[in-house]
Amino acid sequence: MAISVKVMRRPDPGRTSYMRATLKGMSLTFKHLVRLKKVTLEYPEDQPELHPRWRGTHRMEVHADGRPKCVACGLCPTVCPANCIRLVGGEDDQGNRYPIVYEIDEFRCIFCGMCQEVCPVEAIHVGQHFENAEYTRDRFVYDLDRLMEQDHPTTLLWDPSDPRSE
Amino acid sequence: MPDNGRKADTVTLTIDGREVTVPKGTSLLDAAGGLGIDVPHYCYHPGLSAPAQCRICLVEVEGAPKLQPSCVTMAQDGQVVHTESPAATRMRKGVLEFYLVNHPLDCPICDMSGECKLQDYVFEEGREKGRGREPKRVFGRDDFGGDVLFYGDRCVMCTRCVRFMEEVARDPRLTVVERGSRAVIDTFFERGLEGASYAGNIVDICPVGALVSKDFLHKARAWDLDHTPSVCPGCSQGCNIELHTRDNLVQRLKPRENPEVNGHWMCDYGRANYEWMNRPDRLKEPAVGRGSDRRAADWQEVLQLLFGRLQEAGGAGVRLVGSPFASNEALAGLAALGGEAGSVEAGVFRSPRAPDEDPLPGFPTLVRRRDLAPNVDGAGILGFERTGGDDGSGGLEEVAGHEGVIVVLGDRLRDQGEDFGANASLFVYLGTVDSAAARNADFVLPIATFAEEEGSFVNVQGRLQRFWQGMHAPGYARPAWLVLGALAGALRGEGTPASAEEAFQRMVQEHAAFSGLDWDAVGAAGTRLEAAHA
Repeated sequence: MAISVKVMRRPDPGRTSYMRATLKGMSLTFKHLVRLKKVTLEYPEDQPELHPRWRGTHRMEVHADGRPKCVACGLCPTVCPANCIRLVGGEDDQGNRYPIVYEIDEFRCIFCGMCQEVCPVEAIHVGQHFENAEYTRDRFVYDLDRLMEQDHPTTLLWDPSDPRSE
Repeated sequence: MPDNGRKADTVTLTIDGREVTVPKGTSLLDAAGGLGIDVPHYCYHPGLSAPAQCRICLVEVEGAPKLQPSCVTMAQDGQVVHTESPAATRMRKGVLEFYLVNHPLDCPICDMSGECKLQDYVFEEGREKGRGREPKRVFGRDDFGGDVLFYGDRCVMCTRCVRFMEEVARDPRLTVVERGSRAVIDTFFERGLEGASYAGNIVDICPVGALVSKDFLHKARAWDLDHTPSVCPGCSQGCNIELHTRDNLVQRLKPRENPEVNGHWMCDYGRANYEWMNRPDRLKEPAVGRGSDRRAADWQEVLQLLFGRLQEAGGAGVRLVGSPFASNEALAGLAALGGEAGSVEAGVFRSPRAPDEDPLPGFPTLVRRRDLAPNVDGAGILGFERTGGDDGSGGLEEVAGHEGVIVVLGDRLRDQGEDFGANASLFVYLGTVDSAAARNADFVLPIATFAEEEGSFVNVQGRLQRFWQGMHAPGYARPAWLVLGALAGALRGEGTPASAEEAFQRMVQEHAAFSGLDWDAVGAAGTRLEAAHA
């Protein structure tokens, strides 16, 4: 196929008026001047509403007696694509399997939510939370106690009334 | 198979449309296995009798009125077998559903998860969802004694453990009690498995997570472990094993099949004897200088200094202390170094010895030997003489006060005083851990354990067996064959061996007992040194 060249004809700079384009632009500006709908969010006084599937920093669910729900099955470190979960399993005094060490490096985490998806006991969750500032980097490795302390709402990875999107 | 007049010894049959010729008396399951067809099975184990009670290996044999258990049905001429026919798969699906009636869905907390046969089969062929509505019966868990923990709910009643204790260990300590869905494996009264020396094998042969090791409980997931073929360092039997490692730590030892040495089994002593490979207090960098003059140095400098000292020492009397835990390549390197440095007056090694042997009655080839070190025979072949007592101490009086060159490889000199080697003109200590008796050493060189290097051992049968590297050595520790090979090579002007294979080839050239051996041909199964024990 031959290459065809289309020649654009530009208006002559000396004979062109920009008045119409300017007025068009100004009309938009004035329209916003009188429109009263507020766009700016007065953060942090006003908090944004996060979507139900927002995937933020993690949270570990706990039993009523304060034990973590985690059974140290090892599926989340296995599925984690960023390799950010460190888990050492053990047995507690009641003979239950539990995590002796459970650490998530939130800097490494890519917040894919697969740890929550794979968890057989619904223990680890990603959360609807984004305010994570710290003064030191090492504070971003969340240990088990820290994960259990988190109280933000957890993420819904699917609609509970329609888990298979049917 | 060629028609050589012994046709009656073999049978030819068709399995899943493929023709196969097998020796007479082969079960259908083994015949299918030879074709790479894995017929599911629980109760059948190649090292045990087959009671055909798990009912999951049923296959369709044309002409037979019902499905046949492939583990006990012998192959016959002209048989046509289908393992994947609708009848066979439908039956397996049904049997698996029955297994899951009472099997708990605790895979997340089960140690067997990832290597469980029930998990595998259900994943491949089972129903997607269970149909059971009734509550599952619960047994809880039972401590069987020894290293074995029993989770009754997970048991599939294959009775491999009962038959192992009865047929192989010949120490029937387990039995099935009750009947039907209440049937459960149990020990007799309170006796348990305490003191049984081969009971750890029932954990290996359990196809599900019913029998688990207390030592390994909750330690690592099966899929996280790296498997390295190796040789058990527990005794001179040299059982073929696999090192299961994670995070550069040995997590457990498992037997590796070798019908000539250990069959499918290994003893509990060897199985439990791995913690020393994970020692944190290892020598990590080479050092030079005696006592308070000692300073760390890099390998380049240390080897050059040591090379100079060895050249100066020329002609002096050399005394070598080897170790039955060192590989053949390392010991051959030590012998070569001693020969180059001067005249070797003596090469000795010390080995701890148990008071008695501990055979496995049902597999008499496997015995936990008296020598509790893997390479006693290799050290003997390479010219080292045993010294000291059965507790692995003593016998070094002549070395301690020796005035010439002393080279110690791998022996920790635990019983020796701080004046060991004080009169030596040159004292070189190669070890994995530091020793108080190495205080007078001119050179302290960190070496790798057998788990951190490649090499070979010679077991009590005169069988050369290779092992592979499963871990990284800490710091600047290097394999002993490399360190000794570099020094001996430099003294001879033939360079450093580039690999364990090259160190092995140098050894083969020098020592007639190994002549004719080929590194690759030895392979994972090992080979007999015919000359060594002739």
